[in-house]
Amino acid sequence: MRGYIVKRLLIALVTLVGMSVVIFVLLRLAPGNIVDVLFESAGYVDQADKKQLERELGVDRPIVVQYARWVGELAHGDLGKSYRYDMPAWNIIRPRLPVTLELAVLALLFSILFGVPFGVVSAARQNRPIDYALRVVSLAGLSMPSFWLGMVVILLFVRAVGWIPSVTYVSPFDDLKANLWQFVVPAVAVGYRSSALIMRITRSAMLEVLREDYIRTARAKGQRTTAVVWRHALKNAGLPVITLLGIEFAFLIGGLVVTETVFNLPGVARYLVDAIQFRDYPVVQNLTMFIATVVVLANLAVDLVYAWVDPRIKYGQA
Amino acid sequence: MAHVIQTVDVAAAPVAADERRPSAVARFLRKQPLGAIGALLVAMLIATALLADVLATHDPVRTSTSVLVAPGAEFWLGTDNLGRDLYSRVIHGSRVSLVIGIASTMLGAVLGGLIGLVSGYAGGKTDLLAQRVMDIMQALPILVLALVLAAALGPSLPNAIIAISIPIVPRAARLIRASVLAIRELTYVEAARALGVRHVRVALRHILPNTMGPFIVLITAQLGGSILIEAALSFLGLGIPEPYPSWGRMLSIAAAEYAEKAPWLVIWPGLAISLAVFGTNLLGDALRDTLDPRLRGS
Amino acid sequence: MPLRRLVRFASLVALLVLVLTLPAPAQAPKYGGVLRIHPLAAPPSLSPHEESTIATVQPASACYSGLAYFDPAKKQESPETIIPELAEKWSWQDNYRNLVFLLRRDVKWHDGKPFTSKDVKYTFDMVRGAPDAEAKLRVNPRKLWYENVEAIEAPDPHTVVFRLKRPQPSLLLLLASGYSPVYPAHVPVAELKTKCIGTGPYKLKDNRAGEYIELVKNPDYFIKGRPYLDGVKWVVIKDRSTQIAALQAGQLDVGGSGWNKANAETAKKGKAELLVVENDSNVNDNVLVNFKKPPLTDPRVRRAINLALDRKAYLVGPRLGAATFGGAMLPKPAGVWGLPPAEVQKLPGMGDPVKQKAEAKKLLAEAGFTASNPMKLTVSTRALAIYVDTASWMVDQLRQVGIDAVLEQIETGVWHPKMTRLEYQVALNLTGTAVDDPDAMYFENYHCGSQRNFSGYCSEEIDKLMAEQSQTLDRARRLKLVNEIDRKLQADGARPILGWAKQYAVYWPYVKAFPQHENSIYNVTRFQDVWLDK
Repeated sequence: MRGYIVKRLLIALVTLVGMSVVIFVLLRLAPGNIVDVLFESAGYVDQADKKQLERELGVDRPIVVQYARWVGELAHGDLGKSYRYDMPAWNIIRPRLPVTLELAVLALLFSILFGVPFGVVSAARQNRPIDYALRVVSLAGLSMPSFWLGMVVILLFVRAVGWIPSVTYVSPFDDLKANLWQFVVPAVAVGYRSSALIMRITRSAMLEVLREDYIRTARAKGQRTTAVVWRHALKNAGLPVITLLGIEFAFLIGGLVVTETVFNLPGVARYLVDAIQFRDYPVVQNLTMFIATVVVLANLAVDLVYAWVDPRIKYGQA
Repeated sequence: MAHVIQTVDVAAAPVAADERRPSAVARFLRKQPLGAIGALLVAMLIATALLADVLATHDPVRTSTSVLVAPGAEFWLGTDNLGRDLYSRVIHGSRVSLVIGIASTMLGAVLGGLIGLVSGYAGGKTDLLAQRVMDIMQALPILVLALVLAAALGPSLPNAIIAISIPIVPRAARLIRASVLAIRELTYVEAARALGVRHVRVALRHILPNTMGPFIVLITAQLGGSILIEAALSFLGLGIPEPYPSWGRMLSIAAAEYAEKAPWLVIWPGLAISLAVFGTNLLGDALRDTLDPRLRGS
Repeated sequence: MPLRRLVRFASLVALLVLVLTLPAPAQAPKYGGVLRIHPLAAPPSLSPHEESTIATVQPASACYSGLAYFDPAKKQESPETIIPELAEKWSWQDNYRNLVFLLRRDVKWHDGKPFTSKDVKYTFDMVRGAPDAEAKLRVNPRKLWYENVEAIEAPDPHTVVFRLKRPQPSLLLLLASGYSPVYPAHVPVAELKTKCIGTGPYKLKDNRAGEYIELVKNPDYFIKGRPYLDGVKWVVIKDRSTQIAALQAGQLDVGGSGWNKANAETAKKGKAELLVVENDSNVNDNVLVNFKKPPLTDPRVRRAINLALDRKAYLVGPRLGAATFGGAMLPKPAGVWGLPPAEVQKLPGMGDPVKQKAEAKKLLAEAGFTASNPMKLTVSTRALAIYVDTASWMVDQLRQVGIDAVLEQIETGVWHPKMTRLEYQVALNLTGTAVDDPDAMYFENYHCGSQRNFSGYCSEEIDKLMAEQSQTLDRARRLKLVNEIDRKLQADGARPILGWAKQYAVYWPYVKAFPQHENSIYNVTRFQDVWLDK
């Protein structure tokens, strides 16, 4: 078991290092650097000024040197300075993190709250009309672009109610009610997709369990198997759902980006898009690494949970 | 591994001895009504894309002075803010979505499949390395990767295809690798190797055909995903540039600002995307159910 | 007696008539309230001297003061509408070669330090790139504006003298713009990107990059009794439809920055109480033509392109029915220096589209491009929605005359470098003019070798005329020279102007005295006179 954990940790580390290189190189492939962008908003380019600025910001050093510097800073917990806004990157990221976190958590909560019960019902009434209906609804959720859903929702809101959630962020500590009102619609817009996936997984996991011989025997004998069946089935569905959440997290970011844009939430996902456009390397690199780390850790956690549950791995036979 | 489950409908009336059994396709359509609907939608999508020139009523890029006109006799679905016919743009948009969807899915699937094949067959260090690379690709959030790629390579058709194909590679690789690992150990493969059949022939003749089933399922399932990612990229302004009409770009922020005045601009492209993806998802689901019920839920 | 009664009656009637015809007494402005408004985009920084975008000038204007400013209440900006700010009086001397400012004595910076002539000299020595300047700007887009300044002297703490190389009456207008605030000499200029220490009616309270900029009333503002508002909050909202929805839902008091006619109509349709104010803006769509790249070196080709772009279709399509047409300078009545309307009607692209497109095809054929050998042209533009829409329209127009045109979207960071290196064929560009004055417009965009002269256009004759008009004191004669330059620029096809967009301010009726000028968008957001009737 311990060997397994160590092995997994090492793999996670290698993955992270590999990703840092990929991000770093990809960013610098993009034509134009931060100095170009700084001149951009000034509306002109002066070669002499540009070289001076490049030297100041250290973007004229060879790529390997820049990478080493970045990794060194990260090791010290220094997230660097935002090129564009001239302040520590952490100052820009920090106020935005709780927004994205709240949105992500609420979206996942919504997806579980709706996905699991729907999956259960769908499995219990397999191939009956309600099953088809639920499968169609959930599939529709996987088919709609999440930003489209957001746009349509805002339109309907304004038309019908004449009210939209606050366009300036309200912290839950300041006004919990207003904050929840602000987040409920975007959370649903993001979570709809995940809820569809969870529903499908729950359904198939349940179906597998329900098909097993001993259950059929018990039913044939006329025994009331409800409670046992459901508990067993749900447990069976638990692992795949957790796996899904781990993988889904990477997809979730995409949904967060467009939803934060449509609903004007000042989160890190939306800022990431801006930062890429502004070639604000420190912010993009660190944010992407942060997201990647979360994803890798989530997958690691899932692997460890599997290991704990699956005795083959526990006792070193896998 | 992946073999078609032969089902016999015991409730059917007895058939004459010389009557031929219904074809696999007919059986599929009967057993999987949702899949049939999916197949129909996908067929409609392909037909629309192929017959776009015939089906469209106007040139999709021709601007006019009939700006933000409501749906009517001349412009069936209305016009956008440059006076372009929305119906024709939606029809032609199917081409872009289909081309990008298929091209990026095939690119990703073939590339990933090759990697999975080599990785699974060779094993050892190659396998380990390939696995780590796949891990990295899978851990990167797709949209972020696509954004950075679009920034790095510039917004254009081939670049968009490349960007969207990337997330498919690790998934295809995983799938094929799993199949390969399982088949590799089978007796008849060992026998073939013992007889001196070369690796490549073994791979092509024995292993590959057996992975086709899950592969097809993967492609149909991913097609919808590719279309959605293209839409998101275009929405953020990084997808295919003009003049090709793209459903995602029609829905971009620029369309939303006219939404209250001209809601048809937001409704129809979104509906088109949703139906196309819905169709591929239904079809993919049904295929998966048919080809290997054990894969359901994975 | 009947006569006396008659007189009394008549005087009563007269009094009544007088009272009824007198203008209703203006409502007394109320104090209090915070104005919530959205900027065009998230400001890249808060330092106007280092940026060229309205997104920075909008919030920063409330915090700073200039030597002078344009009167918010007068719609058309001109030398007559300049009002004093940090300078109480000014006087031209030595035939418009020296400009002497007498500064106010009661002004304090937001951090309490006193304002003196040292600050003025510091600021403008820095901006003009004087060799002995105390500080240097990282990025300096308007150095050209002060190219004519020989020296700046501060003989005493409340007097500043600008010594010029040549007479330049327009210098005063350049100094009155929102792009010319006075910076504090005692604050390092790098800090001013993220914070603001000024002398303006509002102090910066909170600058949340990309989210909002919050300003509060400056209790020590040097104009007593102002400002009326308790504060101003610039809320960054990226999405146009969200801006509209926020205004309708009452989360914003004012909207409209960057809106087009359809947006304004949408907002009003949803909430009929909203007021919509439409004006010219001095922002135009223009076509950059790469003078140095064949086949655009051929004047026939350039003229064909210009003719192919039907301005009337441009009005209906990209501008949704609201635009003004003219040459390089904004035409009357909104502008001061534009070509007369009769001449504007004869510019290429303004006439009958069928005839003009036929003529374009003929010119292309003469230049060697026919149906079997079409001209391949790449239209470049910035990868932003407003640009892409108009550029798509342009591509379609060019295709209608047989040019094989495609669109190229160029990302933000790469746009200006590409333009400067002349790595394009034609490009769709948007130009906003800070001050409606030839000195601000011509030199930057058309002078040989100017950094913003992206077409690579160069004409010695025009350069001479430009210098001449800058020194001409007689208004009428200067107008003639300016028009002559304009005519030549249009004939050469130096930078065909598609049209001038209109600007919109949409706000709730309780917002009073909201200023809007018709020949600039850059000099109105000080908000020192705005008040809320709530």
